[in-house]
Amino acid sequence: MLSQTCQGCGGSNIVEDDLYCQPQRVCVDCGSVVSEGVLASEPVVGPAVAKKPCLNLIKGEMFSLTMCRILMVHREIEQLSQTYYNKAYQHESFLKVSLQKKEVLAGCCVLVSCRLLNWPITMATILCLINADPTLVGEVYQEMISALKIEAPIVLITDVIETHIQDSLHLPEEFAENSKDLTRCAVALVELAADSWIVTGRKPVPIIMAAVYLAWQSLRPTKQRLKTSLEKFCQIAKVNKYRPAVKRIAEIKEALCKLGKEIPWVREAVTPDNVVQHVEDILQHRYALLRRAMRTHQDLVEQTPNSSSVKHGPHERNDVELNWGKRVLFAPPCVIRAKRRRVEQPELQDVTGDEEISDSEIDSYIRTPQEARDFALTQKMFEKS
Amino acid sequence: MDELERYFDDSIANDSGFMLEEGLGLQSPAHSIQDSSYLSVKAQSSTELGEELDLSFLPDELSTQTDTAKAAETQAAAPDVSQDSGICLDYNSQDSTAAVDPQQGGSLQSSASPFCPMTPMTPMTPVTPVTERSGIIPQLQNIVSTVNLGCPLDLKFIALQARNAEYNPKRFAAVIMRIREPRTTALIFSSGKMVCTGAKSEEQSRLAARKYARVVQKLGFPARFLDFKIQNMVASCDVCFPIRLEGMVLTHQQLSSYEPELFPGLIYRMVKPRIVLLIFVSGKVVLTGAKERAEIYEAFENIYPILRGFRKQ
Repeated sequence: MLSQTCQGCGGSNIVEDDLYCQPQRVCVDCGSVVSEGVLASEPVVGPAVAKKPCLNLIKGEMFSLTMCRILMVHREIEQLSQTYYNKAYQHESFLKVSLQKKEVLAGCCVLVSCRLLNWPITMATILCLINADPTLVGEVYQEMISALKIEAPIVLITDVIETHIQDSLHLPEEFAENSKDLTRCAVALVELAADSWIVTGRKPVPIIMAAVYLAWQSLRPTKQRLKTSLEKFCQIAKVNKYRPAVKRIAEIKEALCKLGKEIPWVREAVTPDNVVQHVEDILQHRYALLRRAMRTHQDLVEQTPNSSSVKHGPHERNDVELNWGKRVLFAPPCVIRAKRRRVEQPELQDVTGDEEISDSEIDSYIRTPQEARDFALTQKMFEKS
Repeated sequence: MDELERYFDDSIANDSGFMLEEGLGLQSPAHSIQDSSYLSVKAQSSTELGEELDLSFLPDELSTQTDTAKAAETQAAAPDVSQDSGICLDYNSQDSTAAVDPQQGGSLQSSASPFCPMTPMTPMTPVTPVTERSGIIPQLQNIVSTVNLGCPLDLKFIALQARNAEYNPKRFAAVIMRIREPRTTALIFSSGKMVCTGAKSEEQSRLAARKYARVVQKLGFPARFLDFKIQNMVASCDVCFPIRLEGMVLTHQQLSSYEPELFPGLIYRMVKPRIVLLIFVSGKVVLTGAKERAEIYEAFENIYPILRGFRKQ
């Protein structure tokens, strides 16, 4: 603020008279200094001066923006993801982490923003983009949503399928398929898988892969296509093969067979080998076939003598547990193929915690003096070598 | 009036008062007064009397007061609680005439206690024991406890003299000791503090900790047995039916976390009691974070009706 009157004498005769490098304004009449500038020419760092934003923060925001552009998401998601990144970056759990983790954090922000704004995306896609260790990404993601208190809805697997299928009409006729039919068929297969408990608790990408593969085969079940293994299919589609997809294919085929058996006009037995030809029919009449299958299964269960609901003793519980998977038409595969657990040793009954502890038992845990000497000697020899 | 009866009539509501609390907890704070009053009535009734209360004999003002308060709760609670398909209370769209006055609800809190000591005129129904509800008792799998031996310890000496000890200071700053009966592992620190893991019951954990202390004593240290405390209990059980985890995370979003790409189970963080449950599609449930056995049983009885709700395809 440049005052025009001197505080000392009230005069207005003020000149600029620098003292060396310090700018000053002096009253000519009384000689008092009216105002003086700062010694340094740069502005003083203080609350009034804006802090230069952190370089890494900017880099991270750019990174998340790049990812959004690659994914071609809409602007809202871009903005939301940058907002979250900003918030998370400043949060104490992320302020001092490595740059690699901050990159992963950017990816997680993109992921959570897509989820919140209903853009179907899997974590696997983010993993591809940032090329990081899945465990690390999982860890950072969980930490971020708990730090920022976000509740992100889960992604429906059927929504994600569409984004994974592209037109393949440029391929030779044997392999080409239009994406609309492929999507329709794959979505129906995934819905069937979901009803048969194949989807819950599993990673979505192998299921999508299995569904697309089976859909592709069933749309034109020529010998050529049926012979194509999953590996070859992944090569054609230019994706990496996921090992669990093979198991999913088997599981989906099994579920299809259960329904395929109920088709009235099919005379031959429906097995995993020939079920692909019938997939179109099965999917078209899914619900009717399901009803028939359930009725057949119900009759079967009622016929067997073990169907009584007698309460079993505790040691027989294991068998009951295994049985419940066999008693229903569809059950989660982990139940049907339950691994035999190691039989637990009979528990110590009626332990009060205050029992007498025998000396001999305690002595059995202590080395004899000779043993201790030998052990010490061996250790020394070991250390020397 | 029917509303109140229905609360006490329905057996699920009787024992799953906590679950209703969860549902009610989702409401706006404006209703919290009525919530707490309702719960104080319920808590008292289910613990003290544990019988059906037929309040039809009560004078009209008292019952209408309850009614209006309950009506408000019902209206507000219905959308939340009905999502919990485990509860089968049917909320008829009652012509709740009452424009509810929050003060009425508030005053209910103070007048809650007179209801309970009254003698009901209808025959009493004995309350069903908690375990009989689901017929399933979670089995304890692991107990973690700590105890202070009360004196500094020479870990190198212990590792040298004890057969069942391993000590690798570069990897971890404690001696790892094991005993056969009860089959447990202990981490013994140089400060004299000890952690005992692997026992299948609280008493076994205490016995094991005492045995470790005795071993340390025999080695020549003036070990005592101070501040024994159970820090964590882990239990597991199987409900024997498959569970739609996707459905559960939709209706219980605040408390559940289901990320199939990271972990196949649903992580449910129960508020009361503070227990974390891992729920799997196979119907197996793991409960952890308890300091007492009762918390585990309570948590399971709370979750069982919720799981039943997600049973049908």
